[in-house]
Amino acid sequence: MTTPTILLVEDNPDDEALTLRAFKKSNIRNEIIVVRDGAEALAYLFRSDRENAPSPALILLDLNLPKIGGLEVLRTMRGDERTALIPVVVLTSSKLEEDILDSYRNGANAYVRKPVKFSDFTQAVNALGVFWLLMNEPVPSHGPEVGIEIGHS
Amino acid sequence: MSASLAPLADASFVALLEAVPDAMVCIAADGRVVLVNAQAERLFGYKREDLIGQLVEILVPEESRAAHPGYRAGFLADPRHRPMGGDMPFAGRRYDASTFPAEISLSAIDTGDGIIVTAAIRDITGQLRLRELERSSQSLDTFIYSVSHDLRAPLRALSGYSGALLEEYGERLDEDGREYAERIVAVSEQMARLIDYLMQVSRISRGELHLQSVDLGEEAARITAELQSGEPDRSARFVIARPVMAMADRRLIRTILENLLGNAWKFTSGRDDTSIEFGTAPGGDASVSYYVRDNGAGFDPEYAGKLFQPFQRLHPPRDFPGTGTGTGLATVRQIVELHGGRTWAEGAVGAGATFYFTLDGKESA
Repeated sequence: MTTPTILLVEDNPDDEALTLRAFKKSNIRNEIIVVRDGAEALAYLFRSDRENAPSPALILLDLNLPKIGGLEVLRTMRGDERTALIPVVVLTSSKLEEDILDSYRNGANAYVRKPVKFSDFTQAVNALGVFWLLMNEPVPSHGPEVGIEIGHS
Repeated sequence: MSASLAPLADASFVALLEAVPDAMVCIAADGRVVLVNAQAERLFGYKREDLIGQLVEILVPEESRAAHPGYRAGFLADPRHRPMGGDMPFAGRRYDASTFPAEISLSAIDTGDGIIVTAAIRDITGQLRLRELERSSQSLDTFIYSVSHDLRAPLRALSGYSGALLEEYGERLDEDGREYAERIVAVSEQMARLIDYLMQVSRISRGELHLQSVDLGEEAARITAELQSGEPDRSARFVIARPVMAMADRRLIRTILENLLGNAWKFTSGRDDTSIEFGTAPGGDASVSYYVRDNGAGFDPEYAGKLFQPFQRLHPPRDFPGTGTGTGLATVRQIVELHGGRTWAEGAVGAGATFYFTLDGKESA
């Protein structure tokens, strides 16, 4: 069985580099797929040839994204059984109350504000990886079969 | 005509007209000015003898003159006291042809022999400027917020890459090289704190006050319990007055008390007999003041004025290590002023400090 993947939705190349580095430093060796806007994220999640491919074990989702924003990605994901249950951690610079509320309302599993301080940032990414990939019990993999029926249409 | 002008010959009516603060212009049914007060002379720059007998349109900007007799007729057909123009901005025209935005209120006096219309005219240039200022100050706050927010991203990269440089290449750098990188890390953290403060300031001043009845004592007790549980080994005495009810924004009040009590806790950290008090005292110009008193390091009263300024620290960070950024008291003052209150402090070096604030605003009873 292949190790589960992480989907990183991030348009800022520096944040991308620092996040990837932090995962590496935390010895989290899972494959990390990087997409750089909301449209790419949805295209990745719903592309036709991934019917039977396992869903990412974790999605790190920025809110302020080109083309399709993070909240829209979240809404679309939660409205589709194939992606409704994938853990999504919103990872963003915003600490606006409405962004936090909107994220939870649209089904985010967690909301983490990107720390500016390097050591805090590394620690946050490490903690996220450890929790969601090691401690958290993932959605049973046969679960999405319900979604396949929906997928016929 | 002379009969219809009878009230204007009445000395008490004329005296009344001179006593009101607004410019008053009285017009007969034919649109001619019959009486003005000194305020009107000043506002329009005319001598009264140059106005009396003229059509009132002389005081109306040229572009609105043609339509004005129609408005006059409309008012005379239904002469109820009312503001002129409704939501439309009105303007007056001075002798020198300059114009000003005006608020005009009309009344009719029925003399039994004809109607006299009195117009009270107020120059609202100042009010409009204030409104404009408020609007631009709001958009400035929004601007500051979004710029601060955007500055965080490159700063995260600056802190991140310099931190990564130290971690991965630190051994290959010599001592100077490492120090430079460490300084980049340190100043980017300092800048992060400045940005956080800017964002906080703009958020507080943009936000609306949600006034409700709050027990400040209950909030204070909760905060001191948290402080104590964070350092269970410290022995401290808390004297918290309860209940202390006030009309305030609960979230912002918490920020005030967290800052003041957090400071008291921090600046008493050297003592084994810490005493921290929350209570009320006479408020001076307000109905009551609230205070947080400690027996800690205190401050030099000479610098009391600097206490509430942002980024000011009266104690070097090494004496009281912690998360201090020098913005706590500035935030307190901002919130207190938003509530319509004020802040002040008393203290002496080594003799503790007392921080006072009031919350009385126009809103409170």
